[in-house]
Amino acid sequence: MAESIAAYEAKVSAADATAPVAHIDDATNTGISNTKLAMWLFLASECLLFGGLITTYLLYKNPLEGPTPKEIFDIPFTSVSSFVLLMSSLTMVLAVSAIERGDHHQLRVWLAATALLGATFISGQVYEFTVFYREGLGYTTSRFSSAFYTLTGFHGAHVTVGIIMLVSLLLLSLRGKMPEHRSETVEVVGLYWHFVDVVWILIFAVVYLIPS
Amino acid sequence: MALTESRPLALPAGEAEPERASLGVFTRPKGTTGWRSWITTVDHKKIGIMYGAAAMFFLIIGGVEALLIRAQLWAPRGTLLSADAYNQVFTMHGTTMVFLVVMPIGAAFANYLMPLQIGARDVAFPRLNAFSFWCFLAGGLFLNSSWLLGGGADGGWFNYAPNNGVLFSPTHGIDFWNLGLIITGIASLAGAVNLIVTVLNLRAPGMTLMKMPIFTWMTLVTQFLLLFAIPVLTSAQFLLMFDRLFNANFFNVAKGASPLLWEHLFWIFGHPEVYLMILPAFGLVSEILPVMARKPIFGYPFIVFSGVAIGFMGWGVWAHHMFVSGIGPISVTTFSLTTMFIAVPTGVKILNWTATMWGGKLRFPTPMLFSIGLILMFTIGGLSGVTHSVAPADTQQTDTYYIVAHFHYVLFGGAFFGFVGAMYFYWPKVFGYLLNEKMGKANFWLMLLGFNLTFAPMHVLGLQGMSRRIYTYDAGYGFELWNKVATIGAFVLAGSIGLFLFNVLYSKVKSKHLPAPGPDPWDARTIEWMTPSPTPAYNYEPIPTITRVDDFWYRKYGEDANGDLVRIAATEDVAQKRADHPIHLPSPSYWPFVLALGLPVIGYGLLYTRWLCIVGGLIVVAAIYGWALEPPDDPDAVHGDDHGPDDHSAEGDAAAIGEAGETGDAAVDDAASAGDKEVETVG
Amino acid sequence: MSTVESPDHTVPTAVLDGAVEEYPRDKLYILTALFLAVVTATEVATYAWPSFKAWHWSETSSIGIITVLLLLMAVKFFTVAYIFMHLKFDKPILTRLFYAGLGLAILVYLAVMLMFRIYFPGQHI
Repeated sequence: MAESIAAYEAKVSAADATAPVAHIDDATNTGISNTKLAMWLFLASECLLFGGLITTYLLYKNPLEGPTPKEIFDIPFTSVSSFVLLMSSLTMVLAVSAIERGDHHQLRVWLAATALLGATFISGQVYEFTVFYREGLGYTTSRFSSAFYTLTGFHGAHVTVGIIMLVSLLLLSLRGKMPEHRSETVEVVGLYWHFVDVVWILIFAVVYLIPS
Repeated sequence: MALTESRPLALPAGEAEPERASLGVFTRPKGTTGWRSWITTVDHKKIGIMYGAAAMFFLIIGGVEALLIRAQLWAPRGTLLSADAYNQVFTMHGTTMVFLVVMPIGAAFANYLMPLQIGARDVAFPRLNAFSFWCFLAGGLFLNSSWLLGGGADGGWFNYAPNNGVLFSPTHGIDFWNLGLIITGIASLAGAVNLIVTVLNLRAPGMTLMKMPIFTWMTLVTQFLLLFAIPVLTSAQFLLMFDRLFNANFFNVAKGASPLLWEHLFWIFGHPEVYLMILPAFGLVSEILPVMARKPIFGYPFIVFSGVAIGFMGWGVWAHHMFVSGIGPISVTTFSLTTMFIAVPTGVKILNWTATMWGGKLRFPTPMLFSIGLILMFTIGGLSGVTHSVAPADTQQTDTYYIVAHFHYVLFGGAFFGFVGAMYFYWPKVFGYLLNEKMGKANFWLMLLGFNLTFAPMHVLGLQGMSRRIYTYDAGYGFELWNKVATIGAFVLAGSIGLFLFNVLYSKVKSKHLPAPGPDPWDARTIEWMTPSPTPAYNYEPIPTITRVDDFWYRKYGEDANGDLVRIAATEDVAQKRADHPIHLPSPSYWPFVLALGLPVIGYGLLYTRWLCIVGGLIVVAAIYGWALEPPDDPDAVHGDDHGPDDHSAEGDAAAIGEAGETGDAAVDDAASAGDKEVETVG
Repeated sequence: MSTVESPDHTVPTAVLDGAVEEYPRDKLYILTALFLAVVTATEVATYAWPSFKAWHWSETSSIGIITVLLLLMAVKFFTVAYIFMHLKFDKPILTRLFYAGLGLAILVYLAVMLMFRIYFPGQHI
């Protein structure tokens, strides 16, 4: 394998001396690039943030007035929504795989798919919230409502930021600014996206499915 | 590009794409002098200096607030401050000192010193570093603008619910506290990610983790604490913000909410916070003591592991701030025990420092005095802390001046003494001249006197029953004498701070007539003393290869047959000279400044008019895109280096100037690029 | 457009993405996604079919459903983290860093909930 790597590197060096390709080992002490390490540290810190919000929800999930979770949740709808977000993780990772192979068309297809699935999820959330609101669950109705909307709202905001990043990557790729030696950019955005999905895995189980 | 055999630049810069059209809309700034260079700088040293200067500014504000408190408490039924004003003053004093003085001084040293100690050219994300500073400054100014806009926060620095809600605190003071600290929290979190990646990734060749200087280790632990603690505070603050601005029910008791939720979330942050404040000072003292004792630090692995242990154990003690909050006897007992245990690693450090001094060839310039001061004062504070850990005793002590005495002994007598000593120690490295030694000694003794006069009596006052956070007291309780002593002490303390600031100005003026101290005035041990003073922009040239802890010392000294120290090289031969060729450095950028500007605009918008939110939001979004899309380098520069692939925010690789003042003739030739890649080999 | 042509599309994956070992790509991802879909369906089944033997452990409490849901949730969590987020194929330090944050969050917040006596039946704050 060392020979094939060396041969590959020699070929690329000949092709474009100033455009480096991704390496097994970055020139860092850990061998991991700065950006990737930074993103993982950030995700580790996000565990504490979402943990606080989830804990708040668990403490407040039984309201003293207004609709209760059992009355208001539409599990089938949310299940579909969750499935959509889960599949967006697949399309994301296929996008990363595509750019690492140098397949720019597939990259754009999968990036667009991920963004679309994410947007579908958000639309589902918005619809769900509108229905809840009409059924009497406003933001200020009860401790449950505040905690629920805040937790899912924070998550939704994170998804939205993720969609903006995905669309930005897509536009950059369309303008030719996303060559495969920048595949790590897509990978790092992917890490963020998967984390947001993982938080939803937590929320779906803990908020929606677990019965009181 | 293949990896070169020798270790490439410690700082992986952005890719070189000269033939590709630049993404950027604006060119990157080029200046290295003048005020604009400070606004656009991404140099960790300049950023460290700015953190220090900002901290000094806030120190004066917080100090004035302290003097107001002490003046009000001079005599019973004081009339200087009304109850409401007093509440604002003590809240803002605490908040300012914790978030805007002690933490930023820690950040100042971490920023300036840590990259130098690991042999790097800069931190991992220079623009993010600049953003952290400007964001912190924006948050601090935003918080203090409350004085001009309806009054400061008045709920105590810990701001308990439901008092922090709109019902009991209808003015905007607490909103400024909340939003201001969310903004500084963002700064801290970004800084934490940045500095951790720097320590893990950008160490010089040969510097394994267990060869790092102690200060770098303590910085690493501190940044991990920040990384995990700030989000907890942020979640609490968002809950409070939604309660106050949007009528949510997180702390609305009528809807079944629990005020204890705030306490838990706040103190889960708050306790690691205090370790965060002291660990950098511990690290700095661990640098100063061995130099002044001409001995290596005693038990290097123990000092490292005890620091890490403090970091871990600090997460398990938070509810000792809540012993009287009704959490129940099982919780109280548990946290009482964990709090007693956490004294152990700190005790290990005290013993190791003492053992470092034992048998050393001690000398006592100002930095050493302050370091010994830290050890003694912190020990006193630690002992009173151990008495707090005994929950039944704490029930008596809590909310009295006994607690005030404790935390001032550890924070002021501990952290602040350490920082001042480190400022005397590192001043020549940063600015190229020594602070006056006679004045420094006077500074120390005056500060020691003033500090003890102020806070020692508070132990007595507290045990006599004087309540804290109350604007006055009645005659006849026996509080009068010690309050007067404390107030006198506070003004003596203020005088000592004034003396320090005077020393700074005086020494700068006098330095023109004195010889330069050179790179190594203290005959120090760690590699940052190898650079010229003041440190050039590129730090090291070439990047040294490290072979052991205290690598610089062992380049100067060896041991003879008897085991005595023997000089093997003159300092001038070991220290580095200024480079005569340009060296690649990250380009300056103004986007971090712009992004930081947008955040308080959003804050004001949330409080006054939602249109400002939109304006602020647009500034933030524009700044993020400007940052992400700006060209990675100065397009006029010539590239001779190859660079590794790096972050998508394409850090720059301009052929920048070696230091301010030299002309930027970017005639990079093969010799220069070879020099960049060349790494010093031992011998 | 990119001026770098990748010489062929059979580049060893290890060269490109910092992975520690080789692994088959897209097939693994699709199989993982299918697995996750099945687990999600099982989770929804606890809602749709609460009296199914596998999780109907007690007549009075839903302890069975809760346990099964938490287990399935954990399975999905770690699957996404290890496969999609590459932790299995990357250097261990990333896993350790992530676990540090995750572990700390779990311990600290579990302690908070314990102190609020959230687990005691009939208790609420």
